[in-house]
Amino acid sequence: MRYSKKDEDADQAIFKVDRSSVFQEARLFNTSPISPRRCRILLTKITYLLHTGERFPTSEATSLFFGITKLFQHRDAALRQMVYLVIKELADTAEDVIMVTSSVMKDVAGSGGRGAGEQEVYRANAIRALCRIIDGTTVQAIERLLKTAIVDKTPSVSSAALVSSYHLLPTARDVVRRWANETQEAVLSGSKSSGFSLGFGSSASSTPQGSGMTQYHAIGLLYQMRAHDRMALVKMVQQFSSGNVKNPAAVVMLVRLAAKLADEDPGLRKPMYTLLDGWLRHKAEMVNFEAAKAICELKDVTDAEVAPAIHALQLYLTSPRAVAKFTAIRILHNFASIRPAAVNVCNIDIETLISNTNRSIATFAITTLLKTGNEGSVDRLMGKTSAIMADITDEFKITIVEAIRTLCLKFPSKQAGMLSFLSGILRDEGGYEFKRAVVESMFDLIKFVPESREEALAHLCEFIEDCEFTKLAVRILHLLGTEGPKTSQPTKYIRYIYNRVVLENAVVRAAAVTALAKFGVASKDGKVDPEVKKSVVVLLTRCLDDPDDEVRDRAALNLRLIQEEEGEVAERFIKNESTFSLPIFEHQLVMYVTGDQSTFDAPFDISSIPIVTRAEADAEDRSLKLRSTTMPTLRAPTTPGVPRPSAAPSAAEAATSAAAAAQQHAQQLAAVPELKPYGPLLKSSREVELTEAETEYVVTAIKHIFKDHLVLQFNVKNTLTDTILEDVSMVATPADPEDEEQAPGLEEDFIIPVPKLATEEVGTIYVSFKRTGEESNYAITTFTNVLKFTLKEIDPSTGEPEDQGFEDEYQVEDLELTGGDYVVPSFAGSFGNIWEQVGAAGSEVTETFSLGTGVKGIQEACEALSQSLSLQPLEGSDVVVNTATHNLKLFGKTISGGRVVAQIKMAYSSKTGVALKITARAEEEGVAEMIIGSVA
Amino acid sequence: MSGFFRRIYDWLLRMFWATEMDVTMIGLQNAGKTSLLRVLAGGEFTYDSIPTVGFNMKRVQKGHVTLKCWDLGGQPRFRSMWERYCRGVSAIVFIVDSADTSSLPIAKDELHSLLQKPMLNGIPLLVLGNKSDLPDKIGVDELIEAMDLKEITNREVSCYAISAKEETNLDAVLQWLIGRAKK
Ligand SMILES: Nc1nc2c(ncn2[C@@H]2O[C@H](COP(=O)(O)OP(=O)(O)O)[C@@H](O)[C@H]2O)c(=O)[nH]1
Ligand SMILES: [Mg+2]
Repeated sequence: MRYSKKDEDADQAIFKVDRSSVFQEARLFNTSPISPRRCRILLTKITYLLHTGERFPTSEATSLFFGITKLFQHRDAALRQMVYLVIKELADTAEDVIMVTSSVMKDVAGSGGRGAGEQEVYRANAIRALCRIIDGTTVQAIERLLKTAIVDKTPSVSSAALVSSYHLLPTARDVVRRWANETQEAVLSGSKSSGFSLGFGSSASSTPQGSGMTQYHAIGLLYQMRAHDRMALVKMVQQFSSGNVKNPAAVVMLVRLAAKLADEDPGLRKPMYTLLDGWLRHKAEMVNFEAAKAICELKDVTDAEVAPAIHALQLYLTSPRAVAKFTAIRILHNFASIRPAAVNVCNIDIETLISNTNRSIATFAITTLLKTGNEGSVDRLMGKTSAIMADITDEFKITIVEAIRTLCLKFPSKQAGMLSFLSGILRDEGGYEFKRAVVESMFDLIKFVPESREEALAHLCEFIEDCEFTKLAVRILHLLGTEGPKTSQPTKYIRYIYNRVVLENAVVRAAAVTALAKFGVASKDGKVDPEVKKSVVVLLTRCLDDPDDEVRDRAALNLRLIQEEEGEVAERFIKNESTFSLPIFEHQLVMYVTGDQSTFDAPFDISSIPIVTRAEADAEDRSLKLRSTTMPTLRAPTTPGVPRPSAAPSAAEAATSAAAAAQQHAQQLAAVPELKPYGPLLKSSREVELTEAETEYVVTAIKHIFKDHLVLQFNVKNTLTDTILEDVSMVATPADPEDEEQAPGLEEDFIIPVPKLATEEVGTIYVSFKRTGEESNYAITTFTNVLKFTLKEIDPSTGEPEDQGFEDEYQVEDLELTGGDYVVPSFAGSFGNIWEQVGAAGSEVTETFSLGTGVKGIQEACEALSQSLSLQPLEGSDVVVNTATHNLKLFGKTISGGRVVAQIKMAYSSKTGVALKITARAEEEGVAEMIIGSVA
Repeated sequence: MSGFFRRIYDWLLRMFWATEMDVTMIGLQNAGKTSLLRVLAGGEFTYDSIPTVGFNMKRVQKGHVTLKCWDLGGQPRFRSMWERYCRGVSAIVFIVDSADTSSLPIAKDELHSLLQKPMLNGIPLLVLGNKSDLPDKIGVDELIEAMDLKEITNREVSCYAISAKEETNLDAVLQWLIGRAKK
């Protein structure tokens, strides 16, 4: 629908409509004889009101509805069509709309006794109205009608029936599912209507007649009918991808479906990929784009898989049509956020787009290049970016700022250039969202790139001198409070902050007071500079005269805390270095408020939320920022109620879920009385699969480390039908040591078996060991695991298990206990410092490995290594820029707090795969060896 | 006659002769309302008539009079809606199944409670005992008795025995209806 300026004016002139006068006029419907023309105009007014957001109260809607039913006495086709349009809209508000059912059915069946041509006008409308007035219990009555309409040769009728069935499906699933054959037929006969349109350009102008749009509707309905049956979906995609579906929108739907299937079932990945690849060469460009996008979004897509998609998009970069260029660059832009190296090949074509007159294209081109470019090209690109900044909208500026923000984290060495760029645009005109993006980028620089800190803080100080956004000023003041005291010259910031106290509104003044106070307690090396403290006290004392309550209160509280003899209280309250783990906090709160009534019996227990240090929170925050790629996706809709089978979560989800998982483990273990005396849980591993997913007994394991104990948690699922397992336990035996020296240092403590396990039930067995090793208490070994149980069959006649069972054993895969199990990833701003500090204090070990060709590239190696070593990548080294060589920097702490650092130099060639040289340093003895050992 | 004159003629006819009138047909479900209307409109009688959900509207042409007939569903959920469609009509036709005596008490109650509605005062009523072709039907007098028609005083009331199936007495029905036309 297009609303030109002129139309709008015309609207106003013709329609002076308001609800009450329309309702008054509705008496017209009850007059006799009926004037179709006047009634149509009145109906149009009602539709107009309904579509502009007006709602008739139920009583008015009902009386309008009954008035309108009187119009069924007139046979004017155009009037009947209007009647249906309005009934459809009123169906939700008016009462007793069921009254028109018989009459509508007559029109749907085409038995109105009129010429076919005339009925054609409103049959589709009748069908759409019918499905709105019908309820779940009466669907059966219209079954035959709809089945016939679905295969009607008039596309508008068939489409209306298909779309209506789609809407009826949730209310009457069983009935609608019986129409699968007709729907199937509609897909195939839809291709006979010729003259479908290609691409975006012309589709808007084509009529539904002959566009093949019924195919789209039919496939959409079939998908909903079969959403729970994956094999049926696969068959459907394969059947319809052989060229019998012509409508591009319908093919796009198939593309999405294929992508979803590939995503959910690894076994289908290959055949579905083949289809997607084929669609890259489909003659409709919207299909090409959708296929390319789907391939880019495939889970862990390989370079080889994605290459054809990138190539297809590259061709569109030089298309003469702006919309094609835009679509292509936008997909590439998104993909470049996760895999810049793969988009590299398009760089030359993308460069030419920077100067495109269409600013949207130019912006995406620049931001894509910022992602794909190497360190060397950054400065040049920043120059070009500055040039276009002046004439793009805030929205695009934000996109660019976001790209630069990621870049800062990726190439910390380029921070100077980026910082001057950011501070430059901070001075430009711009709205709140834009300024916020810039300020947040600078925050990130300060947090994660320590070298930039002082200069960035200086820019921010200058910014708040003249900042119109209170929210930003408050955040900056807070940051100055936390970072300022750690700098070489804290007094410099005190002046800026105090200026705010003098010049700003109350909210900002209050924030400034809190920030000031931080200078009074904290400083370098834990000592408080008495001079600084004194001047802070003087300034805060002045604030006691502030006209605002909040400001005075804060000043008074902080003064009191600073002047406290015991420094500890002030430390805790003012510096506030640790915080609740926010993702978990949020999760728990959501669980609490969405729980049933009984959860409110007990108040929310905040002590169950783990407290994390600022450094830990930063680590999480940083990996989220670097990895999360905001990809707006339009996949095939997931049907609620069907959980995606163990789909690997995205990295961003993983980061938050790791914290949540730890929390969950701790809670679960705390509920086992036998484990109570073990003290707090120090570390839990990821869940490891010890069987294939399709075996009789599906077993996974998690390793939990306590101060003096190791607990193996085995989750066992019985998938055998009609059986029950009793007394299920696991015999986990550490490998025999080759010589006494290397005794594993583990003594079995007890086993908590599962008493009963019925079909499809999951039970948990705990096997506990005492960690007996001396000194470096980190046992490394391999467990062989044998599941023992008594198996009883269920007597089908009674449903009861038989008395006599038999004992059985089932060996599952071995479980490795490695160095990584004793290490927790941890964050630090500068790798170099720690590398030196740990090197000076502890031991160093170096070794070389080859990962072979199983690992496809350095990016994959980086992810695998940081995971198996359980260490945190620092300085953005988890993002691989050069696919041939890379240096990964890792940091973590053992469960007893000793620091561990590692540098891994990697080289990749397609022939030999990834080769690496690891140098590990650790403060505790033996830990460096242990860490390297967990790579092998 | 050429198309043009034909239209002129039709128009004149409508202006000076043609009359339209609204007639509402009510009664319990399965009495034969829909069947009767179908037959009156010149259609075939069928046994497998499906229950009417809501209403069903048909025009019946008789000479220069057009009867706009509103046939309403007879199931309990629709009975409260009868009144809306009876307001302002030229005649109300109440149909009963004269072979199903067990339904008569309910039919009687429904009819009388409808006629209490002040909006419907004075509207002529025609009660039809349908299915007179069936062996165990009751006659007109018995029907008048069973439906308590003598009690109705504030309007014109007539009662016929008919059969939609055999088309018995349908002309009388039409004549009666046309006689109620307002012009
Ligand atoms: N024997 C006989 N059956 C009839 C007659 N009129 C209707 N029926 C049957 O009675 C049943 C109900 O008819 P229908 O018109 O649907 O009744 P409604 O619910 O009042 O509309 C159908 O099976 C008809 O075939 C009649 O005059 N004689
Ligand atoms: Mg009926």
